[in-house]
Amino acid sequence: MKGYKKYFGKKILWFLITLVFAVILNFVLPRLMPSDPVSAITGKLAAGMSDAAAVREIYEHYQEEFGTNKPMIVQFGIFVKNMLRGNFGKSFSQYPREVSDILATSVGWTVALQLPAIVVGWLIGNILGAMAAYLRKGFDKVLLPVSIFFGNIPAFAMAVILLVVFGVELKIAPLAGGYAADMIPNLSWPFIKSVISHYQLPFWSIVLISIGGQAIGMRSMSIYELNADYVKYSRFLGIKDSKIVGYVFRNAMLPQITGLALSLGTMMGGALVAEKIFSYPGLGSTMYKAVLASDYPLISACTLIITIMVLLANFILDIVYGFIDPRVKAAQLD
Amino acid sequence: MKHTLRNIFHSSKFVVGFAIFMFLLVMIIVYPLINPGSPLEQIGVGTFARPGTYVSLYDAVKTTPETLRIQDADEKRMANALTTEDKVAMLEWFSAVGVDVSGLEMDDSEGFLELWFANYDESAKPKGFTMAKRNYYKRLNRTVLDLQTGEALVVADPDNETGELVKIGEIKKTDYVNVGQVTNVKTLPLGTDNFGRDVLKELVGATKTSLGVGLVAGIVATALGLTMGLLSGYIGGIVDDLIMFVTNLFTVIPGFILLILISYSISPDLRGPTTVAAVIGFTSWPWTARSVRSQVISLRNRDHVNLSKLSGHSLLRIVVTDILPYIASYVVMAFILQVSSGILSEAQLSLLGLGPKTTVTPTLGLMMNWAMSYSAHINGTWWAYLPVILTITLISFSLNLMNTGLDQVFNPTLRD
Amino acid sequence: MKKMSKILALLLTLAMVCGMFAACGGSSAPAATEAPKATEAQAAAPAATEAPAEPAPADDNTLPRNETLYFAGQQWGPVNSWNIVGTNQNNSMAIAGNAGGYRSLMFETLFMFDFMSGEKKGLLADSYEWNDDLTEMTVTLKDAAKWSDGTPVTAADVAATWEVALLTNNGTGGSYKAYVDTVEATGDKTLVIKSKLNDAGKPVNPLKVEDFLTGTPIAQAAWIKTLRERCNDDPTAILNDKGEDVVWSGPYTKYFADEQKVVLVRDDNYWGQDASMWGKLPVPKYIAHNIYADNAAGELALKAGEVDVCQQFIGNIQNLWLEDDLPISTFYDEAPYGVCLTMPTAWYNMNIPVVKDNVALRKAIAMATDYEAIIANAMTNQSPTFAEVPRSLMNPTAGEQALYDHEAVKDLQWAGNDIEGANKLLDEAGLLDTDGDGWREYNGEKISLNAVCPNGWSDWQAAMQIVAAAGDKIGISIEPEYPEWDIMQTRFTDPSQTDYAIFMWSPDAASPSMPWGRCNQFLSSEFVGLQNNWSGNWGQYVNEEADKILKEIPLTTDEAKKVELYTELVKIYLTDVPSFSLMYRPNLFHAVNESVWTNFPSADDGRNIPPADCTDGYGIRALYELELVG
Repeated sequence: MKGYKKYFGKKILWFLITLVFAVILNFVLPRLMPSDPVSAITGKLAAGMSDAAAVREIYEHYQEEFGTNKPMIVQFGIFVKNMLRGNFGKSFSQYPREVSDILATSVGWTVALQLPAIVVGWLIGNILGAMAAYLRKGFDKVLLPVSIFFGNIPAFAMAVILLVVFGVELKIAPLAGGYAADMIPNLSWPFIKSVISHYQLPFWSIVLISIGGQAIGMRSMSIYELNADYVKYSRFLGIKDSKIVGYVFRNAMLPQITGLALSLGTMMGGALVAEKIFSYPGLGSTMYKAVLASDYPLISACTLIITIMVLLANFILDIVYGFIDPRVKAAQLD
Repeated sequence: MKHTLRNIFHSSKFVVGFAIFMFLLVMIIVYPLINPGSPLEQIGVGTFARPGTYVSLYDAVKTTPETLRIQDADEKRMANALTTEDKVAMLEWFSAVGVDVSGLEMDDSEGFLELWFANYDESAKPKGFTMAKRNYYKRLNRTVLDLQTGEALVVADPDNETGELVKIGEIKKTDYVNVGQVTNVKTLPLGTDNFGRDVLKELVGATKTSLGVGLVAGIVATALGLTMGLLSGYIGGIVDDLIMFVTNLFTVIPGFILLILISYSISPDLRGPTTVAAVIGFTSWPWTARSVRSQVISLRNRDHVNLSKLSGHSLLRIVVTDILPYIASYVVMAFILQVSSGILSEAQLSLLGLGPKTTVTPTLGLMMNWAMSYSAHINGTWWAYLPVILTITLISFSLNLMNTGLDQVFNPTLRD
Repeated sequence: MKKMSKILALLLTLAMVCGMFAACGGSSAPAATEAPKATEAQAAAPAATEAPAEPAPADDNTLPRNETLYFAGQQWGPVNSWNIVGTNQNNSMAIAGNAGGYRSLMFETLFMFDFMSGEKKGLLADSYEWNDDLTEMTVTLKDAAKWSDGTPVTAADVAATWEVALLTNNGTGGSYKAYVDTVEATGDKTLVIKSKLNDAGKPVNPLKVEDFLTGTPIAQAAWIKTLRERCNDDPTAILNDKGEDVVWSGPYTKYFADEQKVVLVRDDNYWGQDASMWGKLPVPKYIAHNIYADNAAGELALKAGEVDVCQQFIGNIQNLWLEDDLPISTFYDEAPYGVCLTMPTAWYNMNIPVVKDNVALRKAIAMATDYEAIIANAMTNQSPTFAEVPRSLMNPTAGEQALYDHEAVKDLQWAGNDIEGANKLLDEAGLLDTDGDGWREYNGEKISLNAVCPNGWSDWQAAMQIVAAAGDKIGISIEPEYPEWDIMQTRFTDPSQTDYAIFMWSPDAASPSMPWGRCNQFLSSEFVGLQNNWSGNWGQYVNEEADKILKEIPLTTDEAKKVELYTELVKIYLTDVPSFSLMYRPNLFHAVNESVWTNFPSADDGRNIPPADCTDGYGIRALYELELVG
């Protein structure tokens, strides 16, 4: 038990240190960008003004409000203080909207798009990979190259191709947005239908690409396991094939589950490309716009969400593995 | 060594991947010899010229023609100017302005024209006709008016002194020139892009740059990853903890976001292909480091390593002679994957407008970026983006196929 | 056989799992929309209580297509505020100043600007009159004008709008406080606007006072009072207020807004149905704008008929009807398709010695640039050429073109792509390539410049690329550079920057004070040395003669004298070449899809409605004349 305590204690310590550094980086990185967001806001407001002194006043007003005229370290203090209270301040680029308000609306769309897409892509990929490993022969011969091909189509290319083929040419899928252009969100059947149909293209653009990689991974893992000594031994003992296969795939799944957990962690990063090409609302495009506008508070908040999600996923995995994986157990007892 | 190579080339997957890759390489080297010049030269003044062969009209006029009496030439001209849809549209106009069309046959083009000239009025606004529709009739009228020209077009040139037009020749409907005899003929197999550049030529140049970007990114990432992984795995302890901490930081702040932030911060005049490649390499080494580390950990307690240690060999020597050879195949595969992901990252970055800022060398990502910012994908100008997508996919497909082939050679259990 | 059944089992599981997740995918997506919906319910509530006559939101939640006019190209992010005093918002459909005239769907100005004729047409006001020395303007308001709560629009509202503008230094305050001294209500429906006077006791600029009439949305005094009270007169709080309870005077009001769209609904009690104004209500019941990620998405929607009016640059727009046979048209049915009101310009940075010292260099680059290629390539011919409209300080509209003497400056013009002429000019000026490396030197140093415009502004980037190519041909190294917009704007508004030698920016388009305002932007030294200079003369050019004339024009009423002065300015501009325009460009792009609505303004329909997207200035009249197709 002492081994566990030491193991988890060390893990937690490293996670905390990582978190602290990540928060610092999340704060510093956007602010290293060589532009002045206050000037951008001023520019928006000052369009058409020909009195330059008035423009200067506006500039100073916002510098004061955002605190960009204070030293970096003071700004960091304010940032951490507000962050602990869950307050990320006002967005520069969508001023005067609250950052938390912007995030609240985009996180929902991102989760709704990514979660099912990642899970479905993972499931289909793993099932195909397992089939390829088990059946070999023709199925494998076709599946492997096809998986490699699909896995290597860049995300933007897949999105563009789907858009052009199904949206522009065949006209069977909507082109942009999260729901029909002529609707007002509500909980009615037509609206849900519209959401689902708008969901199709971005969804498949993510799924189709992830299938390939997952299938290849699962296939390799399964083949390793199928050739493992314990399988040969079991066969020799005359244990039923179906039972052996059950063991094999369960073992092969372990690393794949790690992969799934990690990708669920990074999910918050959003499907930037899919969101951009299909005008789909979500965190990825929010963050991209924030970067282009040097919207520090928004960038920091977005990266912070991602950081925390990834850390959590890693942490949970480590803890779970600590309990279930005999190899980790053994390492602690050393 | 020889044996390994033979094995590698027996793997069908590796061979196919290798063949595709070699084909691309050969194209990069050979095509510029056939079609020399800067790949970024703007030859077209307009945007997006269709793929095809272009014949200089000026030279064609000056080429001696043959007279060919081709039966259906006139019919073709008529059918081209006045399609069936046009006739249906004319009927719609006739009925809107109340013209009797009884007895008018669909194939009676002359009859249609006669009625049209008698009844079309540009300023008329029949009820229910939209502006777009009226504009259509205006254009149709202009096209059919052109049909009214006589047997020959006159070629004239302004007199040097008086500026008056002097007839220097005429072009008859039966005049044909042989394409081979026209002085200037230009074939653009993939048309031109938004800047009026030859897409194929640009594509070849861009493939070269992108491969270079991938290579540099791959080398940087693999070198860094390998070093870090070796140190961390072999030395262990605090060094291991530190390096793992840094790789953890990289996972926590996803590489692509880091890449966006860094690229954005580098001033555009410094953001050449090599810089971008280095940045990509710098943000993608951690996973190589992690995998190398785990391999080294499993090696470091092997007997032969322990033996070396006991013999008092230096750290460097142990790493080079007792560890590296055992993970070499693995590192090669990791390198190939890094190259392929480097090329993808460049394309992805460029698509967001954060890729290499260069007007001297094309890259695949920049080509894609320009095509997308001119909405080529929704305007049906497939030649501006589809070949680019295909090339990127092929490069990365061939690299990964080779990788899978290698994997099967080095891990015999994976073989079919 | 055994194997077969296994495959079957695997496939079945696969199918089931997929089915299950597809179902989950479907239902989890709408769940996510609940969040925006909840906030929306709150947002919509005050609006509903304030306008009881408004029909309750329809039980079906779809906007009827034949009652809705869809827009694209105006709103690029979720609406952040309805506060008309605030001017911090991005609410482009309801609150947007525009150089072509204020967008008066929800909030109205005193007059509507018509950029085709240059006239100011009465909206909240009937008429205005200057006194003889242009120090006082008397404005009479329309009797019929009313707020959405039924109270009349009075002179006190205008005065309160000005007062809060000064207090908060919002857009109105910032734009006009240098020119407008006081706005006083002299009666219920009459008010006096006094010009700011300079040291000599003359009005600073009466033209800018006229801009006030068409550029300032009027807010209700009673609502401003509520706003100021709840913000304790704190300027920042006032500017940041979301203004959900705002009172409006225009024909439309807010209906719905979220991450994806903003919808305005017609106010059927709108005062403008009075015979003294429009005599009827605008035709579409809803005005909707979906928020698209980029131009491509907006263009796709236009092509699909999901958008009726599109304010986006669409390259080769003629292909939409020539090749795709879509019912799409523009104001003119042939190139340049739209009304160009401004000219994106390459500015020379006078902080860089070689640029400042050498007029010949500035002129040579301008002469060598291939404008034909820029217009064909960057603008896809949606601009008149410089052969058709010779370069000057004026936009291509007939009104502005008549303000200077074309013959008098004819000899100063250049055609472009004149490599020979440019080389000759440089040779004569002594800017030679002395070391034989192919590049010319100045004081022994290679002349090396850059040409800068924001990244992603594709047509401008194409133009900069062509300018750079011209440099190559005349031995001047010009490197195109596309920083992110955010970085570029930080630098070029800095009066001491030396990072950008040639950079692209656009002067203002059209307003009552044009073309004076634009000439001022091109030539006036009043902007030189100002920090955060968003206003004009970004290249820091100084010319005292020009300054003198620029001060004289606003006070000149004699038309012939005006022409003389403007001609003088054009002469200075073409001689000194402090900047050179690369193309003409519309202020608003205006492409319409007639799948649902028709009778949009066109050049030859005899109605003289400016192509201002049916929303801006006098262009809003188009909304009253729309018809359904068929």
